[in-house]
Amino acid sequence: MPDQDLDTRVKLAIYEITSDTGRVPNSAQVSRKIDIDESEVLHAFGRLHGKRLLLPEPGDPTRIRMAPPFSGVPTLFPVEANGKKYFANCVWDAYGIAAALRCDAISHASDGHTGEPLTLEVKNGRPILKSYVAHFAVPAAHWWDDLVFT
Amino acid sequence: MLLFRSEETVDQWCVAHNMPRRPLINLEQLWQLAVHWYGNRLTVESRRPAPDEMVSIFASLGLTGPFWDPKSDQWQ
Repeated sequence: MPDQDLDTRVKLAIYEITSDTGRVPNSAQVSRKIDIDESEVLHAFGRLHGKRLLLPEPGDPTRIRMAPPFSGVPTLFPVEANGKKYFANCVWDAYGIAAALRCDAISHASDGHTGEPLTLEVKNGRPILKSYVAHFAVPAAHWWDDLVFT
Repeated sequence: MLLFRSEETVDQWCVAHNMPRRPLINLEQLWQLAVHWYGNRLTVESRRPAPDEMVSIFASLGLTGPFWDPKSDQWQ
């Protein structure tokens, strides 16, 4: 893929490894995947962060906390798809994993207050609709102020 | 953002966390947001929607006003 810039190659490698394994890779894994020095991958991580396409792990730039819609750490929004288990960053991203992978998916989520199990399912490109609601606590202008809370 | 069974549990969460109640969306709207945001995320050309594109996407789902405007300064 010589016509792709480095950031695009890194971005695609992140998502390819994640979709294949269910785990968001670190910089060393991306480095091996595309045979590029890890220091260059880290610079690309920084630029992709600037484009709001990923969030490095606070205090450890070699790890990725979020490659939306995927989470680099376990969350309350696990998603099963293609025989693998992923973690989404929030309820929006739980559907986002199904949209990104373009496949059926099921998320065993829970009510944000009571903890009651609530299941989200996408089948044949459509959500199984229920009367659940999503609450946006943070206005759009501030989503990236504290993305983990948002 | 979090998922709730009903508006009632949203209100309970807001009281418990001393947070104001903010907009709610249903699962159809949530799915459409996910498709707009992430439908091509694994492709070469993927990118996050620009602010004006966000406003258009939200408006197409009936989500309007400063809360849904990423350039709004009303919520500073």
